[in-house]
Amino acid sequence: MASALASVRADLRVVTRVWLFTMKIFLISDFFILTAVVQPIIFASIAFFLFRIGGDAAGEQTLLFAALGTGMMGVWSTTLFGGGGAIAWQRWEGTLELLVGAPRRYDLTLLGQTLGTATFGFYSMIATLAWGVLLFGMPLEANFPLMLPLALLAAVLGLGVMGMLLATTFVLYRHANALSNLLEYPVWIATGMIVPLALLPGWLGPISWVLVPTWGVEAIRGAAIGAEPPWLAIGMNLVLALVYYVLARRILVYVMEKARRDATLSLA
Amino acid sequence: MSVATLPAPGVPSHPGSLRANWRVFWHGGRISYAALFNWAHPSIYIPTLLGAPTFQILFFAALGSYATGMDPAFFAIGNAVQVCSMAGIYGMTMAVANERWFGTLPAILASPASRAALFGGRFIPFIVNGLLVSAYGFALGWVVLGVRFDVATLGIIVLAMVVTAFSCSAIGAVQGGLSLRLRDGLFGANLLVFLFLLFCGVNIPLSALPEWMQVVSQVLPFTHGLEAVRQAIDGAGLAEVGGLIATEAFIGLCYAVAAFFLFRWLERSAYRNATLDSR
Repeated sequence: MASALASVRADLRVVTRVWLFTMKIFLISDFFILTAVVQPIIFASIAFFLFRIGGDAAGEQTLLFAALGTGMMGVWSTTLFGGGGAIAWQRWEGTLELLVGAPRRYDLTLLGQTLGTATFGFYSMIATLAWGVLLFGMPLEANFPLMLPLALLAAVLGLGVMGMLLATTFVLYRHANALSNLLEYPVWIATGMIVPLALLPGWLGPISWVLVPTWGVEAIRGAAIGAEPPWLAIGMNLVLALVYYVLARRILVYVMEKARRDATLSLA
Repeated sequence: MSVATLPAPGVPSHPGSLRANWRVFWHGGRISYAALFNWAHPSIYIPTLLGAPTFQILFFAALGSYATGMDPAFFAIGNAVQVCSMAGIYGMTMAVANERWFGTLPAILASPASRAALFGGRFIPFIVNGLLVSAYGFALGWVVLGVRFDVATLGIIVLAMVVTAFSCSAIGAVQGGLSLRLRDGLFGANLLVFLFLLFCGVNIPLSALPEWMQVVSQVLPFTHGLEAVRQAIDGAGLAEVGGLIATEAFIGLCYAVAAFFLFRWLERSAYRNATLDSR
């Protein structure tokens, strides 16, 4: 019993250390500063101007709707590029073999890395909210303020685990960055981040349900400007996080076994 | 024992001759595209330069028409033209900066080749590339988002597009020149592409922007070219949009000249400080 507890504690330590380390690395990365701060501010400005032309198309809290949506777009971009390239970067930097060969489970290292990526992505939410308040006079208020931390935590967890799934699948494709370039806009569309899903073709609905960013933005928006507490969205974030983790772990085991068998672990 | 006589090497053209400059311009440009443009391979080109623009156009058409109630075609046209800047800006950044990254910069700079020919030749593939991507964007807009124009204005649209693709490549060349000194050249390239979306009337009509942003938009490449395309699509003739096209060409030329002198200045500075291939 004591050894099992010690093992869990050690696993958690790996995840938290890697999580912190990833955040520190991203803080000095030009690319991720651009993705998590600069790009969301530019997209938020575009959205603010457009909604201003249209005269608050999304209702009374249009600016907050736009700020949260564009912030979440930044979170997705960071997760996509950071998670999608996670294993590939370790390969280029020559640390993949060391991490895979270490006594600790590699999936925990990867989980810490992608959770760190998703957490870093939430800078974009702060950036777009601050931008909206300072430059566009956006009122900052939440209908369910106590639910906001819970919604954020669920969204980080969901997106972090989705990043892990991206990392394990993208590694099968030689040009992971190209896939990341491709998938940025479609997920912004399909998850209703800034344009309500009700206005898009009906066949996008089922696709959006299995994408965790849909529920992430729904949870945060629900807590901030929703009419009811976003319990369903928070629950869906957690359920999908679990499903994604199981899938990611299975794929990771397969990929790693194949790479070891073919001796291609360090070959890009 | 007799010694085999080696054939005398061919006498190359004088580095300053027109023939040599043409070879550097034409063949050098093509070779640099194949060697330095990281996205030239179909497995990157298709998702990045065709896939991403597809969804960019659809995204802004959906967002724009939802937020403003305007015709999706307005956003489709803006973004179909804007995607040509991706090829020009990213491509030219890579075409210059990757020389340093791949370690070929010292060899290039040690050669007696004309810098103008060397530099100018790199524009052509990216202008053609930008036009192809934009043509694809227009086709998508035509099929899905109701973009329509009179075939009689096609010539003017193409002329405006060629000039716009050139000016975008020119600002990309400036960024490429800067990348000879910067650690991460693509940061600036990404920033430029995003700024075009905000400042140049791609999604937001210029009249809806604050005054200072309108002033900035006038000195950026792309703004006048896009306006010329929009007016030509609305039926304007060369007499009406000729001024816009000429302004776009002038701005592009200014950036191209700035890029050339920046390249020369950084080249000399790199010689002086022994930083030619430092990363």
